[in-house]
Amino acid sequence: MRRTTIIVSWLLVGVFALSAGVGAQGTKVVVYSALDSAVTTEVLKAFERRSGLRTEALTLAAAGTLSTRITAERARPQADIFLGGSNDFHAPLAKNGLLEPYKSPVLAEAKLAPEFYDPQGYWYGWYIGALSIFYNRDRFERELAPRGIRPPASWDDLLNPALRGQVVLPSPVTTGGGFIFVATQIFRLGNEDRAFDWLKQLAANATFTPTAPGGITLVSRGEAIVGMNWGHDVRSMAVNQGFPVEMVFPADTATEIGGVSIIKGGPNPIGARQFVDFILTRTPQDINAKYGLRYPTRTDAPAPMGMPGLTTLKFVKYDRQWAIDNQARLRLKWQQVIGK
Amino acid sequence: MAVRALTLKGQGRDPGLVAAFVVMSAVLLGFVLYPTYRVISYPTLADYLAVPANPRWLAAMRNSLMMMVLSTTTASLVGFVYAYGMTREDLPGRRGFRLISLLPLFAPPFMVAFAYILMFGRQGLVTRALLGLDVNIFGWQGLWLVQTVAFFPYAALIMEHIFEAINPTLEHAARDLGAREWTLFRTVTLPLARPGIAAAMLLVAISVLADFGNAVVIAGSLPLLATEAWFRIEGLGDLNGAALSVSLLLLPTVALFIFERAWVSRRLYTGITGRGSRLARPATPWFFRWPLFGFCLIVAAFVLLVYVAVLAGAFARTWGYNWSFTLDHWRLGMTQGGAQLVNSVRVGAISALLTSIIALITAFLTSRRQWPSVERTLDFLAVLPGALPGVFIGIGFLLAFNAPPFALGGTPWILILALTFWHIPFGYQAAAAGLKQIDRAIEEAAQDLGASGLRVLKDVYLPLLRGPFLSSFVTSFIRAVTNLSIVVFLVTPRNLVATYSILAMIGGGFWGAAAALTTALLLVTFVAVGVARVAVARGIRGLPVA
Repeated sequence: MRRTTIIVSWLLVGVFALSAGVGAQGTKVVVYSALDSAVTTEVLKAFERRSGLRTEALTLAAAGTLSTRITAERARPQADIFLGGSNDFHAPLAKNGLLEPYKSPVLAEAKLAPEFYDPQGYWYGWYIGALSIFYNRDRFERELAPRGIRPPASWDDLLNPALRGQVVLPSPVTTGGGFIFVATQIFRLGNEDRAFDWLKQLAANATFTPTAPGGITLVSRGEAIVGMNWGHDVRSMAVNQGFPVEMVFPADTATEIGGVSIIKGGPNPIGARQFVDFILTRTPQDINAKYGLRYPTRTDAPAPMGMPGLTTLKFVKYDRQWAIDNQARLRLKWQQVIGK
Repeated sequence: MAVRALTLKGQGRDPGLVAAFVVMSAVLLGFVLYPTYRVISYPTLADYLAVPANPRWLAAMRNSLMMMVLSTTTASLVGFVYAYGMTREDLPGRRGFRLISLLPLFAPPFMVAFAYILMFGRQGLVTRALLGLDVNIFGWQGLWLVQTVAFFPYAALIMEHIFEAINPTLEHAARDLGAREWTLFRTVTLPLARPGIAAAMLLVAISVLADFGNAVVIAGSLPLLATEAWFRIEGLGDLNGAALSVSLLLLPTVALFIFERAWVSRRLYTGITGRGSRLARPATPWFFRWPLFGFCLIVAAFVLLVYVAVLAGAFARTWGYNWSFTLDHWRLGMTQGGAQLVNSVRVGAISALLTSIIALITAFLTSRRQWPSVERTLDFLAVLPGALPGVFIGIGFLLAFNAPPFALGGTPWILILALTFWHIPFGYQAAAAGLKQIDRAIEEAAQDLGASGLRVLKDVYLPLLRGPFLSSFVTSFIRAVTNLSIVVFLVTPRNLVATYSILAMIGGGFWGAAAALTTALLLVTFVAVGVARVAVARGIRGLPVA
């Protein structure tokens, strides 16, 4: 039994040694990435080649989880960089004092439009995603085409009573994309009352998934026929996986701006700055376009293969500040008026 | 008795024992009560007061309670009948049925839901390919079916013990007095089993309320308290909302738990009669036996379908569209999840070891009868995690151990310790039950020879309690490697685990890779159980495993 005692004491020693030692290294750049693992791996590889620094990544394709983690780790930040995820996540972190501002010298050369970065340098937008409508071709041709119904291509097509119960959207309460969709309808229809009348009609047709990717899976698996989601996610999760899915960007669509930011108090502030400089160059934007099918924010980088050029898309006049300021109120109103 | 009381009272307080009491109290207070406090106190009072005005919170509470009632009723009913069948000695294939009822206990908690989507969804092998039906399995009906299958084994296991313990002489006596089969069941079996039924239902109810894995996969757009916490964090980064929803979930689970401890567990009659009788059970008449057999067969088929679906899913190219054989999913699953699988085993083994050690020491201390108030507190702290849903523990550790003085965030220890303390009740109850069976005379003999309190633990109880220790280790290990509800909140960059990757794969539509990785995870748990059985057979015996 002496052995047990020894094992226990070693375990306890291990607990303390490990809990004390972490967070002390400074040569690595630790990245929290909200992008898929293919893009993250390629971007980090390119950065390592360019800078000679080593990197370490937590890749969780869920920006909310990472922003929660950054909030929870406030007293002892574990990471240097928050990579990817809509600026709707980066901006609140900056407001809560969790990000470090940085004026990147690469910004001048990158020639980003002013809407794509924070004037104080808290976050930089390095890719754009746009909302799309998509449908399951098999089921559509079998069940709807014979009844003379045309494939959905505009927001109003989603109200077609023939689609009752067959439309899936990410929930505006629990996803960023779902909220941007609701705000889009307000901007498109001119005022809130008209938008909520429209949304009420939509809700009669639709179900709302608590996670954004959930809806894409449902349509590609034929559990539902029509969906609304980020175009690049539809392409990479459904179309490129061999599922019978067609995707279109409707007129009056809206975008998310994918950000990168420096976490305040992270272990390697100098490496973090180098990383932001690197993200604003062309290489990572091309990588993201190639593997993630997301549009670059740099005007000199081409659109992703197989996606329509960004200039061919028709965007609604989206007031980001208004949308963020009214987010909590609109979410509660959605629950009270729509109840889904 | 008087002599024993005298020796215990007469002896002074052993300094080693006092130190052990202090350390264990500090450990349990720090890792069980402190995180609990952090979660409950994170939302402000205003947040709690705003709950009735928020339709989504109300819907989530309503739905959680509705699922609890529905799934608890069916799972307990199925478990009851199934256990009744298993304990009829003349039921054909009863050993097979028993084995099958244990299978879901080894499965990751989301596996039933995942498998039933593959089998009964719109592209389901059964619904579409075989029956040509068009079924939407997402929603409360699907969740109801899944939770029934996932949780009936809990009820069946408890009921089986109860039925086994009913002395066959009672049945013989009733029959000799002329009772017919139904009368016998109604007037003898059922009344004796009633407290067991209550215990089983409460355990199932707590599990259903806290069920995260199945709900996150199959509940669709149905808001539930257990999953709402995760959606709040994943979609919005809303830590406040997450803490609020798990705090709301805590109310009913703790209420059920206290009710179980205070009322039901005191009314288990069957233990009194013991297992003294070797008398064979009377034969079951055919009109009872064959419906029972048919019932067990159907239930067993539903369980086996889970495994068939996952295995088939791991090898079919594109489920529902292209049924050709492929190994691509294994390639993808292993490149993206192989390292995580190894890490799962490591995390599981360390946490299970810690669980078993802490549980054993705690059980030893609470059996001392030296400081009744301290012992009662320790006992309460050691069983309390059983009432805490996994999502609650996950958020509790996230909030409590990311800042000094306990900055474990970013290390594997935050996850390991969360799993460790969540599983304490299993080890603790096994060890406490084992301790009760050891005659105090052995300990007194050791003390008379001059052994200190801790020496008694080390040289007397540890060797005798190897059985409960092993059973606690295996149970905790399996639960740790298959856990999802805690893992989703606490994985770190260097310490991803397999279940997390599987959830990401299911969510991302990579169902084949998810099925492959799930199969690999199942293999790990079966190997663990196998090794434990061999170890027992080789003589690591101690007391019989509870």
